[in-house]
Amino acid sequence: MPFNVRSVLVATLLACVACGGPGEYPEKDITVVIPFNSGGAFDAYVRALAPGLQKRLPGAVNVLPKNLPGAGGRRGASDIYRSRPDGYTIGIFNMPGVLIPQLQGMSIGYELSKVTWLATLGYDHYVFVVKGDSPHNSIDDLKALGRNVTYGATGPGSTSYVATNIVNETLGIPFDIITGYKGSAGYLLGLIRGDFDAAMINYSTARSYLESGDIKALAVFGTDSDDPAIADAADLGAPELGQIRVVRMMGGPPDLPDDIKSMLERAVLEAIDDADFQSWLESTGNEAHPANSAATAAAVVEMTEFYDKFQQLLD
Amino acid sequence: MADLLLQAAVGVLSPGTLIFLFAGVLVGLVFGVIPGLGGTTALALLLPLTYGMEVSHAFAMAGGIMGAIAMGGSISAILLNAPGTGPSAATCLDGHPLAKQGRAADAIGAVATASPLGGLFGVLTLLIVLPMARDIVLLFGPPEFFLVAVFGIVTVAISSSRNLLRGLVAGGIGLMLSFVGYDTVHGGVRYTFGSDYLWDGIPLIPSLVGLFGMAEMIRLSIEGGTVAADASAVKLDGVWAGVRATLRHWKVVIRGSITGTLIGAIPGVGGTVATFIAYSATKKADRDPDSFGTGRIEGIVAPESANNAKDSGALLPTLAFGIPGSAEMAVFLGILMLHGLQPGPTIFADHEQDIYSLIFALTLSAVLASIIGISCVRWLAAITLVKGQILAPIVIAVSLVGVYAINLTPGDVVLAAVIGVLGYLMLRFNYPRLPLVIALILGETAERGFQQSMMIGRGDLSIFLHSITSITLVVLILLSLTWSFVPLLRKRFAARISGDVS
Repeated sequence: MPFNVRSVLVATLLACVACGGPGEYPEKDITVVIPFNSGGAFDAYVRALAPGLQKRLPGAVNVLPKNLPGAGGRRGASDIYRSRPDGYTIGIFNMPGVLIPQLQGMSIGYELSKVTWLATLGYDHYVFVVKGDSPHNSIDDLKALGRNVTYGATGPGSTSYVATNIVNETLGIPFDIITGYKGSAGYLLGLIRGDFDAAMINYSTARSYLESGDIKALAVFGTDSDDPAIADAADLGAPELGQIRVVRMMGGPPDLPDDIKSMLERAVLEAIDDADFQSWLESTGNEAHPANSAATAAAVVEMTEFYDKFQQLLD
Repeated sequence: MADLLLQAAVGVLSPGTLIFLFAGVLVGLVFGVIPGLGGTTALALLLPLTYGMEVSHAFAMAGGIMGAIAMGGSISAILLNAPGTGPSAATCLDGHPLAKQGRAADAIGAVATASPLGGLFGVLTLLIVLPMARDIVLLFGPPEFFLVAVFGIVTVAISSSRNLLRGLVAGGIGLMLSFVGYDTVHGGVRYTFGSDYLWDGIPLIPSLVGLFGMAEMIRLSIEGGTVAADASAVKLDGVWAGVRATLRHWKVVIRGSITGTLIGAIPGVGGTVATFIAYSATKKADRDPDSFGTGRIEGIVAPESANNAKDSGALLPTLAFGIPGSAEMAVFLGILMLHGLQPGPTIFADHEQDIYSLIFALTLSAVLASIIGISCVRWLAAITLVKGQILAPIVIAVSLVGVYAINLTPGDVVLAAVIGVLGYLMLRFNYPRLPLVIALILGETAERGFQQSMMIGRGDLSIFLHSITSITLVVLILLSLTWSFVPLLRKRFAARISGDVS
């Protein structure tokens, strides 16, 4: 294509008009808030994504991950929500981790329906697991125990606790939950030790233990099963349970201007396709399931409706 | 294994890797010295930088930091009574009295000898038990966690036998503070007065900075003078005396190292408890326990050998199950994941050499940090001659900045200041601070362990006797309780006999 000074000038001019005035975004560093300590899965995700994101944004700005742990992720979420809608503060949201306290009516400092959703990075589906040498090979085996099935989970109101409640109520399994384990690695260890019968656990934590045979899966939620021995939500006759999974969504404060939103949305989606990020995903056993801004906002609505139906099981 | 071990050693000793290790040691020393900062903060800052590094370089640097932190943290514990890190807090108890007597150099010499020896012991143990890591971690369930926490509290309670009542008051305050925040078992929120800050409970590091560092600086400002009471008594060349004293007390080194490795391996209990228990155990075993706290060199040797041994212990649950043995390990876990190493059942098989190079880096860095420490002793010990009016404002400012840097939370700074006043009052009215610290750390573990055990055992207390581990722990608790009353009973008995005679 021949180089034409005038058309470049016109294009630049149009671009300036389009972004509405002086100072093209971005002209300073962009902070990505991680509402958890360094060392967790959300932290690793953002840090692995940040270099690719930086490459895809115009200008020589840095993308700086910032850990704001506290109050189970609510501190970070409300920090993103309250920041100025200028595109310099965005963050990652743990869904439904930050949704459940909102539905419980806690004072949380954010309203997820008003967040400017940029994109979905991916999800981590849930696996219904028992110990590897357990005599039980299906959910029906557990139902036939003739007593309450015991589960391990983190605290009440956590995703694992709420998911265990919803799945067992829906499938009509009598159950007790032993709460208070620290994170999914904590109750996974409890299951292997034999503290309780079964657990609902996110796949990325469970993967290497499933492969080693320490635990075995009886069902999966949040994704379709390609193994005939493992049931999915549809096989169990409760397709709505497909909502049970942890979703990693990127968002910014309410009323983020449209041009900034689309620029960030595109940059995030392109960064997910980055070869470095893809190879990182593969080495850690995570899968990307990208979705754009509109699809993410729709998923938030759908998820809110789903958990709202189980209002009485949330705490 | 020997083959891979050798390859790992050669790898770490290659000039490229050695530079990263050395950089880690320097970072570790500086972050260790500043109260509030510490291994966790240093590793968290390092984490994004390692993204572009080779795994071996990242591990060398992380190992460098973790191995050197203890040395740095204990230097400020001795000189300022302001532990640079949590696990160094136990070193204050006898280290600072030595500094006051003008023997700071002796104390630092003891640290520089005991910490690499402890580190070496921990690493050797780790290499032996690494293949059994899984089984060891699986020995500890909720009942065992509860019993370990009780054991820790009991050990410390009986070590303050001279003023048992005040010890109990301090421990009670610590337990009450540990219950603040979200209850992870039943989901209730307790004593937060609606503040989001208190939702996660009373954080340990700001509390330690307040209780020791701030309290000491308040005292120094009020009483005036310098840290070393008598400037003419300050010996700047006592370092070799400290080294020799440590080697003479090799039994204390071994006891401290075993305690450190064992307790370090139990998640949720962690390094600070390990060093305090090592201290208490040595005090208890000594013929003259009452002289501890006045500047006994054994009171430094025991916690310091535990301090470096604990890292090896903490690696076990971190690598085998992705359950961090300490706060530092939680961040280290992030570095592992960022480099695509998924902790779990296959990590030892898949990444054996990487793990050996980390272990090698840990050991080498403790030695390097000691050499640096020993060679700087003269200048460091001179700090005890600086006037309080100059020293206190600097230390207070640096500590509070350090506390703020942990989580960028203003609440942490306020908490450190409030606890600082509490710490000063305890100092002033002669209440031991040790039981408060231990209860603050272990209260949550004890409560959670008990509640979970009750749920698992359906309310039957026999769950606390269901495994060899738990029975052993129960016996240990009973033994230490009865032992502590033996001298007391003997004294009563002797008094009665002499009373009869007269």
